[in-house]
Amino acid sequence: MKAVKIVLALLLVAAGCVMFAACKGADNGIAGLVERIGASGFVKESHLAENNRAKILKNIDKHLDELTVEGSDATELFLYRNAHYGVALGAFLAALGAAIAVCALCAREKVRRAALGLALVAALFAGLYALETALGDGSMLITVLKKGVIYALIAVSMNLLNGFTGLFSLGQAGFMLIGAYTYAIFTIPQEARAQVYQYFDGGLVQFTLPVLPAIVLAGVAAVVFAFLIGLPVLRLKGDYLAIATLGFAEIIRALFQYDKLGPVTNGSNLLRKFPTFDTVLFPFAVVAVCIAIILLLIHSSYGRAFKAIRDDEVAAEAMGINLFLHKQLSFVISSFFAGVGGALLAMYQTTVQANAFKSSMTYEILLIVVIGGMGSVTGSVIASFLFIACSEWLLRFLDVEQFIGSVQVPLLRSGFRMVVFSIVIMIVVLFFRKGIMGDKELSLSWLTGGKKRKEGAVK
Amino acid sequence: MGFFGRNLPYLLAGISVGGQYALIAVGYTMVYGILRLINFAHGDIFTAAGFFMVYIAATMPLTLAIPLVIVLTVLLGFTVERVAYKPLRSAPRMSIMISAIGVSYLLQNLMWYVTGGLAKQYPSIPWISNSITIGGATTKVVTIITPILTVALVIGLVQLINHTKIGMAMRAVSKDFETSKLMGIRINSVISMTFIIGSFLAAVGSMLYFTNYSTVTPTVGAMPGLKAFVAAVFGGIGSIPGAVIGAFVIGICENIIKALGLTTFSDAFTFALLIVILLFRPTGLFGEKTSEKV
Repeated sequence: MKAVKIVLALLLVAAGCVMFAACKGADNGIAGLVERIGASGFVKESHLAENNRAKILKNIDKHLDELTVEGSDATELFLYRNAHYGVALGAFLAALGAAIAVCALCAREKVRRAALGLALVAALFAGLYALETALGDGSMLITVLKKGVIYALIAVSMNLLNGFTGLFSLGQAGFMLIGAYTYAIFTIPQEARAQVYQYFDGGLVQFTLPVLPAIVLAGVAAVVFAFLIGLPVLRLKGDYLAIATLGFAEIIRALFQYDKLGPVTNGSNLLRKFPTFDTVLFPFAVVAVCIAIILLLIHSSYGRAFKAIRDDEVAAEAMGINLFLHKQLSFVISSFFAGVGGALLAMYQTTVQANAFKSSMTYEILLIVVIGGMGSVTGSVIASFLFIACSEWLLRFLDVEQFIGSVQVPLLRSGFRMVVFSIVIMIVVLFFRKGIMGDKELSLSWLTGGKKRKEGAVK
Repeated sequence: MGFFGRNLPYLLAGISVGGQYALIAVGYTMVYGILRLINFAHGDIFTAAGFFMVYIAATMPLTLAIPLVIVLTVLLGFTVERVAYKPLRSAPRMSIMISAIGVSYLLQNLMWYVTGGLAKQYPSIPWISNSITIGGATTKVVTIITPILTVALVIGLVQLINHTKIGMAMRAVSKDFETSKLMGIRINSVISMTFIIGSFLAAVGSMLYFTNYSTVTPTVGAMPGLKAFVAAVFGGIGSIPGAVIGAFVIGICENIIKALGLTTFSDAFTFALLIVILLFRPTGLFGEKTSEKV
């Protein structure tokens, strides 16, 4: 029985791989195909060169009745049109097969959960790939997904501090700013520096880092600041900590706009022309890795110490937990991921300016954390997507003046969206204090059929 | 002109801004003293008072508008407390603070909606917006009026707190919330009274502040609000004279920094001061020492 299962699973992997490879190649012949069906006159060279699917297909469809699409060409065009679904499905099937094989081979609950989790992540990425290729670049949904996933990371990092360690910190915007600037400063290409730093003779930094090391460096820079600021500030209690961190973020904002630092930070001018991402898969991949690390941390002994400090500081100290060390650790780690989030946000926005990182940005993230539920990682993620989708997209109709017949619908005009939105937030804060998830997590246990793990079994 | 003559305008501006911060800071410190809550929405109530004035002064004479603005601001402060803070009386303190941040967010968005996000011109109040010259420095009358009015209002407030029944109740509640409840003090009316006084002072402060700065935008109150809070912490949170002295110190220092040509850091200085104070004297200048109960 087991052998059959494994063989079937491996067959699934093989089928997935074949499908993936076959469909992945469908793009390669497009130039030849355009030539053969006689569409060269309608499709621009530049679109072919950068393989702009949406534009090429649009132009072909526009002139479809003038073209001769027959026989194998028709099949090829069909493949070109739909290959992304094949790629996605192939990748998903391969991952699913691998997960089933692992589950069949290994009886350990932990391994099974990990395998299933990874298969789910693969499914998510496959779906995203298909969605992005199908919808094209300008789609609102893709924009929301990009921004939402970046906010998800930042919200989870804030939740680690506020929800899991019980430190009410409002400095997140400051650390994001540090991350965004570090990333931007070190990745602007050499040839663009003279233009970006036009008031500062091309700036002080005269080398360029690759994207991924720069993102890590963004986190590290935030960590350095967090460590230094944490030394004094983390000795403060409750709301004093909140105000001190808020103040710190304001200081950072002023500092980065300071004229004398211009050769590094470009003063109060924009930083731009640094590399950005063009696929939604990139931020998703970075954020998935980061959140996975945070989850591992939360489930480690350090995570338990954080929760102990949150629930009762005095008792935690009496149990031998080094309060300051753990607070500092939580603060520094949270800042690292806020810095990474800041770098991603810079990539998303394509330009960075210190003035945008106001305290209201921190408030927004805090509200996301509250809506998702203090102390729930999945809650923060869900709430981020909801928050961004509502504020950027779904509630947009409230901002547009509308008429029924000749009567204007009252209230609808620019700005009404945010009013409705903040009223909804107030209702959540006042009446659904636990947020969407409370302190629970969406978990895989119902999929693997394992026993539900209970946190804090000793009562 | 000597050094003093050159810097007199900055000093005058500092004293004036200090007085305006003081009027806001009293609201923070009283609310914190009683509810242990940083009322993040206080700065926005201050801004709202500015907008009330803009819209009301456009339709009626100032002699009517000024009292009406004060009444509306007080009403707003009272409503915010009843709607957003009262239901959370028994909730963890963090929840109330989050609610305060939510109210601030709501008020800012609401004001943006109503005004369309444009800066509005503040009506000029006769006499106090006239120019006068002191020791070679030209300034508005409001610069001189502010510290005087502030000190007068604060003395009045201290009398109220020390010598009336409601003042006594306030002191009792800030000492021990639970016990004063058991002693028959109506907590809710005391808290409402605190918010009413705070909003009243914020309304007066906003008239003085915007006469100086002349335009109102939805987020203009956030910074003075935070600075006033720092002033309250500096003076020892819960202490009214402390808040006033703290506000004057911050207002003057900020303008001295501007005089030195470091305008970028005038906001940052306030927060650096806060961090230093919290480290070396967490209870502020006049705050009482508290010990944590297990």
